[in-house]
This record gives sequence, structure tokens and C-alpha cells, in this order.
Amino acid sequence: MSARTESDALHARVRRMMRAFPEGRPPESFDALAADLARFQAAHVAGYGRLCAARGVVPSRIARAADAPAVPTDAFKASHVFAFEESGASAAFRTSGTTLGARGVHFFRDLGTYDLGSVTFARGLLLPSARAPTPVLVLGPSPADARDSSLAHMCGLFAVAFGGGETGAGAFFVGQGALDTSGFRARVQHLDAAVPALVLATSFALVHLLDALGGASVPLPAGSRVMQTGGYKGKSREVAPDTLSHDVARAFAIDPRDIVGEYGMTELSSQFWQREAGPGEGRRRVYVEPPWARVVPVSPQTLEPVPEGEAGVARIEDLANVDSAFAVVAQDMVRRVASGFELLGRAPGAAPRGCSIALDEMLSAGAPRPFEGA
Amino acid sequence: MTRGRAERVADVRRLLTAAGVVYADRARLSPDIVRATGLSPEGVELGFASWERDAPSQDLEALVAAAGDARHVHVVLSANVFVAPLRALAIGRAAADAVTVRPSPRDPVLARALVEAAADPAVVLVEDRDIARSTADEIHVYGRTEAVEAVRARAAPGAKVRGHASGMGVAWITAAADLDETAERLCRDVVAFDQRGCLSPRVALVEGGEDRAVWFARALADGLTRWANPVPRGRLHDDEVAEATRWRETMAFAGRVYEGNENVVASTSGPRLAVPPSGRHVLVVAAPTRADAAARLGSLGHVVVTVGSDDPRTVASLAPPHARVSLLGRMQLPPLDGPVDRRG
Repeated sequence: MSARTESDALHARVRRMMRAFPEGRPPESFDALAADLARFQAAHVAGYGRLCAARGVVPSRIARAADAPAVPTDAFKASHVFAFEESGASAAFRTSGTTLGARGVHFFRDLGTYDLGSVTFARGLLLPSARAPTPVLVLGPSPADARDSSLAHMCGLFAVAFGGGETGAGAFFVGQGALDTSGFRARVQHLDAAVPALVLATSFALVHLLDALGGASVPLPAGSRVMQTGGYKGKSREVAPDTLSHDVARAFAIDPRDIVGEYGMTELSSQFWQREAGPGEGRRRVYVEPPWARVVPVSPQTLEPVPEGEAGVARIEDLANVDSAFAVVAQDMVRRVASGFELLGRAPGAAPRGCSIALDEMLSAGAPRPFEGA
Repeated sequence: MTRGRAERVADVRRLLTAAGVVYADRARLSPDIVRATGLSPEGVELGFASWERDAPSQDLEALVAAAGDARHVHVVLSANVFVAPLRALAIGRAAADAVTVRPSPRDPVLARALVEAAADPAVVLVEDRDIARSTADEIHVYGRTEAVEAVRARAAPGAKVRGHASGMGVAWITAAADLDETAERLCRDVVAFDQRGCLSPRVALVEGGEDRAVWFARALADGLTRWANPVPRGRLHDDEVAEATRWRETMAFAGRVYEGNENVVASTSGPRLAVPPSGRHVLVVAAPTRADAAARLGSLGHVVVTVGSDDPRTVASLAPPHARVSLLGRMQLPPLDGPVDRRG
């Protein structure tokens, strides 16, 4: 079987799992699909074959996701994490960080799986109501203006899928690296007060908007939601999470619980959404995974799972990453709680000691414009 | 300034004499240095062996010329290359009639011992960490880039800040080199201070094809494993272990990894470099031509402090102009002729 045929078959199995999500009955087990993905990637992604060999893992003996070594996100900067030649990619998303000038690249042969999974899961966890269409306003560039941004792609996808096909000036409020505050205000003023809207934004875009509003408000229709994602990356002043949540809720005249956090990254195909979970007074906001992805806290030193309830670096198993790396190790600290996970911030890199240099200092070279590479 | 060049050289020489006294007393100091730095006792002894305790007059005159003039120099020291305070104090003393020194809170042992042994009334230890309160007209700060920037931001208006920030060493192995012998020499440069200094080599460029780079990587890993017996690696902090794990797994994907006893060497011919963390980790990169090596070094230029080679004559056309150049095995032993880091 050719790599392409094998990949097609795996995409089809992952999509079946995604389509089954609303019914809650997955057509096959996570581990069975993960094991087949691991074998496919070990055979066709040269680096993954080497990583398995270095860890003493025989791909044919992988029986469950946990048996497979995970690929550090740095590998997307240092190497080609793709089962095909670059010419076989239909899309390439790039990270905003750099390794001595290099950005990480995530190639996709077929974005259909990414798109189906993103829309399917967000429909259940992000949309303010089942009523369609939902006006979608993006405080970010359009996919056409940021072709290598996975976030712009996802926002564009939601604008089309949830917003009734509205794209272009009516949906995106960042152009040429600048936030169009007056355009955004005008758009909000023309929203139907009876139809909840969805605003998609990065944390730093929200800070820029709040600064531009200078204390004024732009009330959204009742029941609207705001998606907030990402850190600041030096693109705006930093604001404490509770303060930002409070200020955004006030500015949009919404309940703070209608601000929904998103956790995603260029190296993945799936996203994780915040929701309230847990019993009674123990209810808290956690990120939840779709059935085709898992987040496992592992020790940053050994990469072994940490005991239940302890913090670890995120090992993410994303079955939608068919042609790249289904298991990655991110640089974010997480903790499992109440059927989801909490995001605890960036894993501390080795603090540079003395005059010694640290890897992260090299990875963070360059200062992109605030709304580029988001 | 009241002192002439000869007096300044004499003042620096007195610090060298004090270093000799401290060196003679190293058996007493070593346990505290082990605790402060995390180095093994053998690693501390190797560090002492890398300490420049004497220098020819022309080197000291060069140091005095490089030091410039100041009324009062305040020296802010960093941790981990525990013998570094001597050069820092020498530059400060060469420049000024008054020197205040703030040792690293994590690693104050040698700085204190040196100041005490020197008994120079012009050199005074201070513990105040608020740089804004310093009345010095010049501040010499050693440490990570962020620390230098923090001092710059906090220093009193008018105070000149001379920063010596993050950096690293690179090894250049020519086509003429005997790979096994050259790897053995490079081991000494890597092992010293457990690779935490800005002279420590992290990347080795090997002239020739990938086979040659792989041979060298294996020889280096074997050599570092042998070195772990007489000079065991010291204690790594959890975050250092985490970063080492991340780099090792990245390189297992992006290249080949040779894991030895207390060391990891990786080789790659890929276009991108993932610079290894400290703690005896080296990335070996094939450079088919000298133009390739120059391009690699060019991409690293802003962080390269020193280049070691089996043939230093070949380095001039490759290395950034500020870089120190030395024979392999002597990268940690630069002449006492000015700051280690000449990036300015």
C-alpha cells in the first residue's frame, strides 16, 4: 500500500470518529487508531522512525498511544515533520517563534480532517446557540492576509461554518498589521440585538482593543461569546487573566463565563475549549479534549506520565495529525482536573546560568509586528 | 585618573598574587564551591586548573588598555564559572581607583576569598543588590542577556554600563584533523565548568561530509564518557535536565544521537541548528566546505564568543571578528588580556 493510500485510509478513520462525536459513540478505540498512526508515521516520517529507534520502540509492537514516543515541538523548527515531500503539501502553517531565523512548519496534505474536527468540536463548545447563522467577528487577519497562520485559518473556517459564509471586511478586523477599531465598533452596532454573536480574538488583540476603546464599551447582543486564545508574546502589555476577563466582559457587556478560552498550537490539528466542569462547589473552568485527542501531563525530565493531579508538561496525542506527528510534547505545563485539564503556563526552560546561553533565547529572536504570525 | 599604566598593571598583578593564595587554599574552599555551583569536586579541581593565575606583562598591558578609565567601577558578578571573578576584578581595578564588587548570591565563594586575599583597600565587597543605589560611574555586569538589560534599565543616569552577556563557544574541525585526537582535546573544553560558561563549546563544525561528522560525534561521545570517570558531571538542576531531555528528543528526530555516560552528542546535516543546553551536550554539524562553515558561523555570529580549532590559522576567514580564537583543549584558557567576551 502506498503512503498516500495508507494516509487516505487513516484520514477516513479519523473523520469517522469526528462525525460520530455528536452521538457520543466512537466507531473504534483511540488506542487502536493511535497505534496505526504511530506505525504509519514511523514508516513514512523519517525523523519519527529515528526517534522510535533511539527510544528502543519497535513500531509493530505499539499497541496503545502511550507506547509511542512523542515529538518535541522544537522538531517542527529543526526538521521536516511530514510523511511526504514538501511538494505534496496543500497547506503549511508556521509558528511565530524562530530558531536562529527559522520558524517551525506544520505541513498538511489534506486539511479536510483538520477542518472537520475543528468545526465539529467548536460547534458543541464554543457556539453561543444552535441557532444559525451566528455573526462571527474576528479580531485578527483573514486567512488570505495570513496564509501561514493556523489561527487565521481556524477563524476563517468558523466565520464560514458558523457565520453563514460571511468573510472579508465584514468578519476580520485586522489588516496590514493594524487593528481596525472603528470598523469593529461599526460592525457591532449593526448586529441584530436578538442574535448572539461570536468574537474570536487573541489575548493581545483584546488588550489592544481595550486600550483603543479607552474605557468605552461596545455591547454585544445578549448571549454572545468571546473566544480568547494565546499569550502575549510581547505583542502588547500583559494583563492578569482575571483583570482581562473582567475588562473584556465589561467592554462587551457579557457575562465573564461567556469568555471561552481556546488552547491550540500550530503543531496540532485539534483545539481544546474551556468549559465549567466538576461537581457542585468544586466546579471550575477547565479545558476539554475532543474524543480524538488527549492531553497527558508528563515529567519534563523523563517524559513519563506524572501521578494523577500533579502538574507536568503537556504530551498531546492528536489523532487528526495524520501526516505529521500524532503525539507531540509541547512546552506548556498542564494538570488533569475534573475531566479536563488546567493550563498552568509555559514550562520553565533552563534558566540561563552565568553567561551561558539558553536554547530559548535563540528561539525567541526577532520581534514580529503585533498582528503578524499570530 | 591618578595612576599611570605601570601602576595599573601592578595593581592587577597584586590580584594575581591573591589568586595564587586562594589557589593554594583551594582544598578548604572546594566544598563550598561544590555546593554553590553543583560541580563535582573533581569538576571544581578542573576549574581551578583552568584559572589564569599568571600572565605575561604584554597581556596585562593589553588588559589595562582595554579596561579604559573610570572613577569608580561597580562589578556585578554572575554564577557558575566560579573562577571568573579574577578577570572581572582585574578589569575593574585596571580601570578605576575604586572598585565595588557584588558577588553572585548563588556563588559568592571565590569572589569573597579573592577580595579578602588581595587586601586592596580600593576593592570592596558589597551586598546591596539594588543597582540604582550605586554611585559608580561605570558598572560592569556579567550574566545572562536579561540580567544585563535589567541593570542597564535600573542604573543611575550617567552611569556607563558595560555588559558581558550570554554567549557560547564553537569548535571548528578542519579536514586535516585527526578526528579521534581532536575529539579528545575538545572533551576538556566541554567538561570544564560542565559547559556552563560562555567559552564552553556547544557546536562543533566538522569540515567534510556527513560520514566524517558522524565519526567525530561518536569519538566525542566516547571521549566524554571516558572523562566522566576522572571528572564526573556535577548536579544538574531540574530545569537543566528538562531542557536536555527536550533537546535530546528533538535531535533524535532531526539527526542522530549518541548517548554516553553523562553526555549526549548529536549530529545533523540539516539546515537548521538546535543549539544544545549546557551539561555536556554537543551538536556536531557537517560542513562540506569552508563556505558552509562560514555560513553556519555567520548565523550564530551574535552569540559566538570563542572559536576553538585544531588549526586556529584557518579560523580567521570563518569566525566573527570579535571572537576569540584558540587551539582545541585551550578554549577555557584565554590570555588575561581583557574581557573574555569581546563583542562589545
